[in-house]
Amino acid sequence: MPTENLSDKRMSKFKNKGKEPTKMRDRRIAECVELRKAHKVEGIMKRRNISSVGDEEPLSPEYNTDNKQVFVISEAIQEIVANVNNECPEKQRQGCQAARKLLSRERNPPLKEIVEAGLLTRFVEFLGRNDDPTLQFEAAWSLTNVASGTSWHTQQVVEHGAVPAFIALLASPMLNISEQAVWALGNIAGDGPSYRDALIDCGVIPALLARLTPDAPVGYLRNLTWTLSNLCRNKNPFPRFSAVQQMLPSIIQLLHHSDKSILSDACWAISYLTDGPNERIDVVIKTGVLPRLVELLGFEELAVVTPALRSIGNIVSGSDLQTQAAIDAGVLSALPLLMRHPKSSVQKEAAWAVSNIAAGPCQQIQQLITCGLLAPLVDLLRNGDFKTQREAVWAVTNYTSGGTVDQVVHLVKCGALEAILNLLQAKDAKTVLVILDAINNIFLAAEKLGEVDKLCLLVEEVGGLDRIEFLQNHENNAVYRAAQALIEKYFSEDGDDQCLTTEATDSNFVFGASDVQKRFDF
Amino acid sequence: MFVTDIRKEFYDVVVNQRVALFVSPDIDALCACKVLQALFHCDQVQYTLVPVAGWQDLGTAFMEHKEQYQYFVLINCGANVDLLETLQPEEDSVFFICDTHRPVDVVNVYNDTQIKLLIKQDDDLGVPSYDDIFRDDEEDEEGDGDDSGNESDGSAEPSGKRRRYDEDALERRIERQRARREWEARRREILFDYEQYEFHGTSAALVMFELAWVMSKDTKDMLWWSVIGVTDQWVHDKIPHMKYVTDIATLQRHVSRHNHRNEDEENSLSIDCMRITFEYDLRLVLYQHWSLYESICNSCYTSCSFKLWSINGQKKLQEFLADMGLPLKQVRQKFNSMDMSIKENLREVIEESANKFSMKDIRVQTFAVNFGFKNRFLASDVVHAAAALLENVEKDEMPTDNFIKALDCLSRSNLERLHLGIDLAKKKLKAIQQTVASCICTNLILSQGPFLYCHLLEGTPDVKLFSKPLALTLLCKYLLKFSCVCVFCFIRSFFGRAFEKAAESTSSRTLHDHFDTSVIELKMEDRGKFLDALITLLS
Repeated sequence: MPTENLSDKRMSKFKNKGKEPTKMRDRRIAECVELRKAHKVEGIMKRRNISSVGDEEPLSPEYNTDNKQVFVISEAIQEIVANVNNECPEKQRQGCQAARKLLSRERNPPLKEIVEAGLLTRFVEFLGRNDDPTLQFEAAWSLTNVASGTSWHTQQVVEHGAVPAFIALLASPMLNISEQAVWALGNIAGDGPSYRDALIDCGVIPALLARLTPDAPVGYLRNLTWTLSNLCRNKNPFPRFSAVQQMLPSIIQLLHHSDKSILSDACWAISYLTDGPNERIDVVIKTGVLPRLVELLGFEELAVVTPALRSIGNIVSGSDLQTQAAIDAGVLSALPLLMRHPKSSVQKEAAWAVSNIAAGPCQQIQQLITCGLLAPLVDLLRNGDFKTQREAVWAVTNYTSGGTVDQVVHLVKCGALEAILNLLQAKDAKTVLVILDAINNIFLAAEKLGEVDKLCLLVEEVGGLDRIEFLQNHENNAVYRAAQALIEKYFSEDGDDQCLTTEATDSNFVFGASDVQKRFDF
Repeated sequence: MFVTDIRKEFYDVVVNQRVALFVSPDIDALCACKVLQALFHCDQVQYTLVPVAGWQDLGTAFMEHKEQYQYFVLINCGANVDLLETLQPEEDSVFFICDTHRPVDVVNVYNDTQIKLLIKQDDDLGVPSYDDIFRDDEEDEEGDGDDSGNESDGSAEPSGKRRRYDEDALERRIERQRARREWEARRREILFDYEQYEFHGTSAALVMFELAWVMSKDTKDMLWWSVIGVTDQWVHDKIPHMKYVTDIATLQRHVSRHNHRNEDEENSLSIDCMRITFEYDLRLVLYQHWSLYESICNSCYTSCSFKLWSINGQKKLQEFLADMGLPLKQVRQKFNSMDMSIKENLREVIEESANKFSMKDIRVQTFAVNFGFKNRFLASDVVHAAAALLENVEKDEMPTDNFIKALDCLSRSNLERLHLGIDLAKKKLKAIQQTVASCICTNLILSQGPFLYCHLLEGTPDVKLFSKPLALTLLCKYLLKFSCVCVFCFIRSFFGRAFEKAAESTSSRTLHDHFDTSVIELKMEDRGKFLDALITLLS
């Protein structure tokens, strides 16, 4: 039977039933990649946003055409080169500051031009000039901004030997210089796993953590937290365990700070660390951070709630034990509010978390019921945006496949069946398949109760039968077969013969199939 | 853009082309159309005439003709919306718009290639300057969240890399954003002030006549049509009295020029001659084609002054007639059959008595035309006749047929049709009079605070008649005068915008199809909530 194949495929998507947890994660990974891609495109767009108005001298007519602007910039850079290579410290400071200003303007900073002018060697050299803090600072800032560009730009900075110099600068007694070094290292770590690991190899973590003192100003701590989060970020490969173990206590500590921006970045760090196989999740859970994460779910700031919820979502997609740990920390009492959050992105993430809890054993499903998550879930099925509805549908399907008969009946009574039947009109074939699965599960439960007829009536009453019948015209093969199977099995005229021999159903099936081929095959 | 040299930029362009001519159903538009048609005949310009009753019609007409035509002339429609946005034409379509609707949409004003506005520059246009409402925007596409790390909404993952900005640069950006916000607020204010009130500018017929005149192709017929066009604006309260007086003065100069020319040719007495005269006449509708009594009863000015719907008013009318010393028998019979001795100084007699009854403005400057010896028409009477033909609801005829008939009645070769129109106009005026009287007697006119509101019940006699905008306008004018309220607010009306807003906020099902935005169609069921919204909006 086609439905069985289908359900096998689906089973493999659940964290436990399919015994193939990696498949489950696919969805999350794909989503992350998508997000990151969107970011990149955004970045490119910004760079393409060519403006003819110079930032430095907005009124100067010389900036009116691109050509002239290029000319003016190349002239400015020539001057910088001359100054920076001058022996006089005053000139060097002047040159370095001019470069920093060019790189700090909002539009079209001449990153590439600065690199091509060969200035990086000198700048990295200046980082070591402990006798001239101003020069150090200007050079650090300039290099930070060059490293903030594309991977190529970051590579230029690293290859000029900036990493050891910056790590050394972390210990600078001048706070602004140390902070600038933190920032620059953050940019390098944020480039991807290889530079991240290179930094770790150079001992960046102990150097950073040494600056994490109670008397550090908030601005400094913000940069520090962000850089730490970048060191936790990216997979393929993940940061190695020892590094994570080194950072975790400090991150947990930051997670109790009062500054929202620090909280946000610390939460993101946790979300990166939990976005991996169960062993990775375990490391985080063992720190005892769960209660704090649940607490953060109740914050008002979206910048905190979003990464906290992401982390929780990651954790409940882990093993049953890990999920149970999250439940024990009180996740279920925080989720209903988030499912009713005004932001649809939060609703979606919350529904995703619920769908993973619903994929657990029936004891955990029971806790969903006890904590009152079904009502908001049905609300989301009815009124959420499409992405949210898709997650909510997954929750229903997972629930109906793992729940006891009583639990399934309870879900139907909450209005979930009617809501998912309405969603059969969705354009997305995959979602429709998931819904058909849920319907099939509900029918299986009804069979066990011997109340198939009642259920048929219910489905028909709310207009579900029409929709399922209509799906037999669906262009997607799997959808039309699943819909057809449902109709054959539960809604054919001689439905009373349900429990007759398989032979009868088989012949029935054959007849139906040929009939369908005549009418619908294209 | 506004056309400055109408001959060079309009007529010389289309004279060797095929032209689609879209005309709105009002008398001024018909007259402008007549003038233009006469010019086109002169120069053998090929054109297609399409009457368009509303925006939908205009859209359809354009769709049907856009393949074959490059040049479109729009009369009394198209100026007060963004036409290119509405019609989505190809880039080579050119629109010449001769429209009295104000305010002119700013996009139309500043489009230099496809929109040519045939609108007199000396009109009080008050168009906002280009720099106040448009701005080259490429530099301003920046989003507000960016890589400085402080995303505004906070739900996005933080960026992997961040650039450190100059403090000054940040300040400058904030300053720029502030300046932009201020500019936008100012722009909204300017546009609001500009678009708030709608009104009408110089008659389209007059604009077309002046085109003919600068080309020295003007004829007496054309002059008469432009007289009717201006008079239409006055009769239907589209322009304030001052504007009417100014335009009339312009016309009078043309009239004397033409009359002078004719006298030279010594043909002023021929049977088919046409003579336009400028004179003071009475504010009595159609009295030369009716009885004096009926005319007094059905003229807005007199019936309102006497309050004829009341017994008191009827009494006053009798006193008035007695004061004039005219026998009732004479007054009630056809004007044409009245004693010559009475008719001779009738105007003076009426004026004298009217002064006593505090109707000091019964005399008005207007024009009359004589066709040969027999037929004499006042310009306002022709307006009423043509309007009645245009909005004839007696037979279920196509709107296009009515349009053609109304157009025809303006030709001097078609006096029979004009007389038909006069008969229809009488019926219409009586219907208005009766409706107004019944509305007042049954207290149907309600003051809703900022405005008056009157709802004609379904099934009221002649309700069908008032489903047409011109008849409705006339009815409103009567109603307003009867209620002793200044008519001025109708001339500069804010109802258009208010209607739009009210419909939007209550999601009422309305149809804003008329070129006059102060006429809308509304579903009965939505009336309540629509009115509520309107009251809150205007108080």
